[in-house]
Order: sequence, then structure tokens, then C-alpha cells
Amino acid sequence: MTKKKLLLNIFGPILSVVVLLGLWQAIVVWGNVAPYIAPKPWDAIRAVTSNWSTLAPLTWWTIKETIYGYLVGAFLGAFLGVVLNKIPLMQRVLYPLLILTQAIPIIALAPPLVMILGFGVMPKVVIVAWIVFFPVTVSVLDGLNHVDKDLMTLAKVFGANSMRRFVVLEMPAAITQLFSGLKIGATYAVTGAIIGELAASSGSSLALYQRSASGSLDAAGVYGTTLLMTAIGIIWFLLVVGAEYLATPWQRRSTARQWRRGAKPVLTNN
Amino acid sequence: MSSSSILELRGISKTFASTTALSPLDLDIERGSFVSIVGPSGCGKSTLFNILSGLIQPDNGSISLEDQNVIGATGHVGYMLQKDLLVPWRTVLGNITLGARLKGKVGPEDKEQAMGFAQKYGLGEFLHHYPSALSGGMRQRVALMRTLATNHQLLLLDEPFGALDAQTRFEMQQWLLQVWRDTQRTVLFITHDVDEAVFLSDRVLVMSPRPGRVVDDLRVDLPRPRTLDTLVSPAFTDLKSRVLHQLHRERGA
Amino acid sequence: MKRNFLSISVAGAVMALSSITVLSASTLASASTLTAVKFVYDFPGPDMEIIPVVVAEKEGFFKANGLNVSVEFPPSTSSTTQLLTTGSGDIGFITTSDMAVAVEAKAPVISVANYSMTNNWGLFAKPGSTLTLAGLKGKKIFSWGDTWTNAMIPFVLKKAHLKASDITIVTGSNDTPLLMKGTIDFTTSTTNYAIPGITEATKSAPVGIVGAAAGVPNVPVWVYAVTHNYANQHGKNVRGFLKAIKAATIWASQHKAKAVADFMAAYPKSGYSKFYSTKGWALTVPLLTNAAGKYFVQTNKQWTTLATALKSVNLIKSVPAPSTYYTNKFLP
Ligand SMILES: Nc1ncnc2c1ncn2[C@@H]1O[C@H](COP(=O)(O)OP(=O)(O)OP(=O)(O)O)[C@@H](O)[C@H]1O
Ligand SMILES: [Mg+2]
Repeated sequence: MTKKKLLLNIFGPILSVVVLLGLWQAIVVWGNVAPYIAPKPWDAIRAVTSNWSTLAPLTWWTIKETIYGYLVGAFLGAFLGVVLNKIPLMQRVLYPLLILTQAIPIIALAPPLVMILGFGVMPKVVIVAWIVFFPVTVSVLDGLNHVDKDLMTLAKVFGANSMRRFVVLEMPAAITQLFSGLKIGATYAVTGAIIGELAASSGSSLALYQRSASGSLDAAGVYGTTLLMTAIGIIWFLLVVGAEYLATPWQRRSTARQWRRGAKPVLTNN
Repeated sequence: MSSSSILELRGISKTFASTTALSPLDLDIERGSFVSIVGPSGCGKSTLFNILSGLIQPDNGSISLEDQNVIGATGHVGYMLQKDLLVPWRTVLGNITLGARLKGKVGPEDKEQAMGFAQKYGLGEFLHHYPSALSGGMRQRVALMRTLATNHQLLLLDEPFGALDAQTRFEMQQWLLQVWRDTQRTVLFITHDVDEAVFLSDRVLVMSPRPGRVVDDLRVDLPRPRTLDTLVSPAFTDLKSRVLHQLHRERGA
Repeated sequence: MKRNFLSISVAGAVMALSSITVLSASTLASASTLTAVKFVYDFPGPDMEIIPVVVAEKEGFFKANGLNVSVEFPPSTSSTTQLLTTGSGDIGFITTSDMAVAVEAKAPVISVANYSMTNNWGLFAKPGSTLTLAGLKGKKIFSWGDTWTNAMIPFVLKKAHLKASDITIVTGSNDTPLLMKGTIDFTTSTTNYAIPGITEATKSAPVGIVGAAAGVPNVPVWVYAVTHNYANQHGKNVRGFLKAIKAATIWASQHKAKAVADFMAAYPKSGYSKFYSTKGWALTVPLLTNAAGKYFVQTNKQWTTLATALKSVNLIKSVPAPSTYYTNKFLP
């Protein structure tokens, strides 16, 4: 990556966030919006920082719910994608069922989950996993369905069994698609955790904190927690993007990284 | 035929539903020879390769490769298509050793062999490049290296240079001859390009339209190594016109 | 204290749409001569406490006072005052704690009439179980997570001599099934919601500790509120609205069955059974008048008591003059 590109990659997003905050500030100030309706951005941020000792443990809970649910959803999703691809019958039987799971409004799913799983971290994990697995399944299935048929034929001619064909060719071939599903899932994961928290919480949670802020007409608190939830979502998304970056070097590099010590650097001509 | 045959086909035929792709076909291929197959589109050339590689079963006949019956079995020939089918996530080295990986682990000797091939045939600098960084000609070279690295005596090349521009194609042809001479493999080579067939081969087989059978079997005795001069020699032109006439007659018939 | 908005927010949204058509259809003919008023409920979906408004519409009390009232439901609890200040609603139905919080946040709203007169909030448990303040320690208590409940729980703890960490507060979307299953020990609610709900599920009345027994201040729970602007510019509408509501409330107290039928007809998909609404309305009626049998009348004392109480549990920072909260000048 050139230096210019790097700067653009870093400052581009920062600039857009600054512009957004500026716009927000402008609307609140010029529109004469009352502080109990919408706060100025800085007040929203301060509502988080000045209550950080209360918010930190709640944020940590939400992060845990998000990550656990996400991991469960991602593995389940990838597994289902493979099953659907490998067992054509399953595609007939299971696929409509999977679509059905996504047609159920999550908000309606939450109360029965609480009945079954209680007030702890479990129902949130299930909701997040429920949201995350689907795009992952669809993308993995798509990826596997679009592996070059001729390549698979060639592998057969080379005498590879189906297990090797899967591990060596199909799995890596689907990885680009897999990450597009993982990224979609990453953006939704926090939403799932928050819906779960709204549906049921023991003690406190970010969602409940926000609800009582809303009840107290503390708009700064409401917007502040929203910013906090958004930040969790964005950071998680960026981590997934980072994982993609490391896992698919061929998408943006012309040569492989040389990890071995003493390996000669390889000259590129482009 | 002779004891130097590596491959013997007897009475091989194949019918798909209502289309007869191959009518009974007999063929002997000499060890270490370079044999081209030309014929109109759809006459069953690729079908023949698919039968040889074990991807599909013939309806009748027998195949003996190095005195082994290989009908319906895979993993005994090198195979290469017009599409290079390089995997984008493996480097040049990784692609050359793909055959080894597909049969198990890539051992140090596989790597050494691959690096040897790459070094020798102009890919040394690109060992750790991903295919996306390579030109079309280089990609075909890697694909051929991969085919060679499977260490099978018989190589089936199905229009490998069909997608290359004329300039690159000529370079690739000369390069292929060099590789063939060095490695002493037996090559069966499908092409639509009569110049290419005559330029490369010891023998050119001309096939009839569907159902395919061999209607002419030409010996090409042009001296090797073949160069640009070969292409303009009268002997080359004679052979070429014979193949073309044969093809044309068959097509017109 | 009502059913959580999550469980019925979807239904509520549908309701909000359908209700507008239901209510305005009957008044379409004379709509042009009537003054339009937007009433905003305290909750995302309708329940029997809205009966005075429904009856005022169905039985023609609004029309008689020159009003064409449409009903809106807020997207979440405790957002009604915000809807008033942004002009999305004219007259709102809110809890007194919402009112106190709004004044604290300098939202220009004012309460124009009490809905109920006493605090009927408390703790409830399954029929046959023991529920005492002394036995609260270590128990799981359900909360709706709304401002009113947040305000009341500290008083219960104070009376029981417990710390916040002595009990577990859990929030959810519906308390009754959790109570039945034993997932929670007690729930928090008001008599007119808790008793019908638990009775419906168990066929017998719940046990409860309510009002003074639970240590909570005896103040009205719900009021009607408007913005200062609306009070200044449309006092006539406020007066007319309260007049119609008073007449409707009296009518609905005398014709309980018919009133519930009006409610069920206006909101056939409210999610509440006829049993629930009938019982709920019967329990609501006695709450609506003070000791002297008067409707609506607010007092300095009620607001001072509420503000002092809320300050003592840190929900507000200062206790303003009671007149900041209310006016009785629009009472019929
Ligand atoms: N799997 C199959 N099922 C049915 N028909 C097939 C199948 N494979 C090939 N054919 C038919 O068999 C005939 C021969 O096909 P083949 O691919 O061998 O031709 P080809 O000589 O390689 O042609 P080209 O020069 O265009 O590549 C064609 O008519 C083709 O449609
Ligand atoms: Mg072909």
C-alpha cells in the first residue's frame, strides 16, 4: 500500500465521522432542539465518559454476549453451509426451515427464549447466534456452490479423494464469500445482543440503562449509549475485516508473506 | 503394435444418450512421442481425454497404460486444460505442488522438484507470487509445471494455448518443446490450430466429425529442434496442407 | 407496570394505525366543524385504562364538546412527554413520575388533571404463596424497567430494611408466565393490572403488598398533561377534553360492561381478554375519585410528596414548587 493510500484509508473514515458529528451539532444548535429531545454530540459522548464506572461493566457484558453469540453463530452457520452443500437432500429440507428462522421477528423470539433460558447470558447468545448464522450459511453455501467445476474435475484426475478436494480446494475457495457473510453478521450482532437485553436482563444492562435514561428524559444518556453500542458494532466489524485481511492475503498482495527467517525478499514487478 | 507403446486403446467407444461421441477407436502411442489430435469441434477429442484420465467410462473397449488396465481409474495421467485452473490462494510454488497436496502432504522433495522446474523454466522469480500477479502465458506455464509435477509419464494437454495471443503462443510452443525434450514425457495434445499441431508433433491424428474416429495418421519428420524457419519450410507447408485437406474433406463429407 | 412494550410493540404499532381510522370514521361527517385534538397514551398499545377516552369518542362526549380526538400510541413507554413537546401530540396520558422527570429536564409540560387518585402500586405473588417485606431478601423480583417502577422499588427496600444488592431485579417482557413457572418470585405492578392478569392465569387472586404497606408514597399514579404552549393557546380544547372525559368516566363507571364492550370494539386486537379488561376496569373505577368523590383534582401535597420521594431516591435533584407541576384551572 502506498503512503498516500494509507493516509486516505485512515483519514477518510475519520473525516466522515467528523462531518457526521458536525451535521448533528448543526441540526441541534440551529434547529433549537431541546436537550431532552436530542443532545449535542459532545454532550452525548460526555454522558458516556462521565458515567463510565457504571457503563463499563454493562458494556463488557454486551461485548461478551456479542462475541459468544457471534462465534456460535459463525461456526454453526459455516457448518450448516457445508452440510447444505454436501447433502443435496438437506438443501431441500433444511433451507426453507432456515429462511423461516429469519422470517420470525427477533423481537417475538426473545420472550420465549427467556422462558426457556432465563435471564442470564444464554438467551442473548442464542439471539445473536440466530441472527449471525444465516448470512454465514448463505455465503458459505454460495461460495461452495461456485467453486470452479473444472478445478474439481482436475483434482479428481489428480486422484484426490473428496475429503482432500474439500479441504484443499473447496474450503479456501469459499473463504472470500465466508467473510462477506461474517461481515454482515458482525454488523447485526450487537443489535441482537441489545434486543436480548431489552427482552430480559438480570440486574442491569446497556439496554436497560438506555431505557431508564429515556424514562428520565436524559437524551444525552440515550444517545450516548447508542454511540457506545454502535462503537461495539464497528469495532467488532473492523476486527472481522482485520481477520479477513490476514486470512486472504492473495486478494490484495502479489506475493505471499515470507514468515520464515532468512527467506529472501521477493521482488515484484508491479 | 510395438513394444515401445506406452498407451494402447482397443475398440474404445462412447455414446451419450443419443449422441455417439466416439465410434470404436484403436490407438497406439509410442513412449516419449509428441502426438497431436486435430478434428472438428464436437468430434469427441475431449471425450477421449476424459476416458483416458478415468473421468468417464467408455461403453466398450480396453485401455492399457504402461501395461496396466486403467479404465475408470484416476490418478495416472497429467491433465491440463485451456483454462489454467490455478488456485488464487496458493502461490506459484503452492500451485505447482497442488497435485502432491491433493494426494496428501507436500514433502520437501515435492518442493524441491517444484522449485527446480520453476527455476529451470523461467518462473524462478515468481515462486512466491500469487497467480493474480502473473500474465496469461506465465499462468499457463505454472499450469504445465503443475501437470509435470504429478510425475506421470503421459500428459494430456487439451488446447492448453487456445486462449493465448499469437506471439505468446509461439513462445509457449517452443518452451513446451524444451520441457518435453528435457523431461522425456509422452504428450497427447489437442488443438484446433493445424500449424501448432504440425510444428510440435511427431505425429498428427486427424479425426472425423462426430462420431469421431481417426481418419488420418501423419508422421511429421521435420528435424528438431524446430524454430521459426521450420514454420516456413516447404516440408512444413506440405504436411500442413495435407492435414487441412483431410480436415476439410471430412467436414464437407 | 403495564405489560412490557416489547411483547406488544408490534401489535401496538398496528393498533396505533387502526385506531385512528376506527375513531375518526365515526366522526368523519362532522369532522370539519370539530376541533382536532391528538391524544397520546402512555404505552405503545391500548389497555383498559384508555376506556374513558374510548367511551368519550364512542358515546359522543367529545363531539358534544366540539372535539375530534385521535389517539396515538408512543413508540416506547416514557416517551409521551417528548411527543407532546415536539408537537406530535396535544394531550398526553403519563405517570406522575414521568411528569416529575420532565420538569427536572426542563421540558415545558404541565399536568392538567389526575387520572387516578391513589397509589395502587405494589408487589404481587402467585396465589397461595407468602409475600412479606421481611421475606424479600434473596428473592428475584420482576420489574418492567420503567421510571415509575425504578422510583418505587427503593421505597420497598427502605421499608424492608434491605440494600439493593439483597434482591435480584430482573426485567422481561411479561411477568405472569415467569411467575407461574417460578422463574421469578414476585412481580411489581398496580392492582388494576396485576390482579386481572394473575387471576386469569391461575383462576384465583394473587397475594400482594400494595401502597403504604409496601412503603411507597401515597400519590396518584397517572395524570393528563399538556405543554405550556398548548395550555396557553388551546385552553378551550383542554377544558373541553376534560369535560368530555369526566362525563365519559362517569358513564363508564355506571355502564361498566358497555364501556368494556366499547373498548373491545375499538381495539379488538389489544391482546387483552374481555375477562381481563372487565376486571381491570372494575378495579380502576374506584381509583378515579378522591375521598370527596371528586374527579381530576390535584393538590400541592400530592406533588410535593412525589417530588420529595423521588429526590430521596435520586431520580430528581431538586423539589420545585408544586405549581411547577400542575394546574387545576382547566377542570370542568
Ligand atoms: N457429459 C456429456 N453428456 C452428454 N453429451 C456429451 C458429454 N460430453 C460430451 N458430450 C457430447 O459429445 C460430443 C463430443 O464432445 P467433446 O467435448 O469430446 O468434443 P470436442 O471434440 O472436444 O469438441 P471441441 O473441439 O469443441 O472441444 C459433443 O456432441 C458433446 O455435446
Ligand atoms: Mg474439447
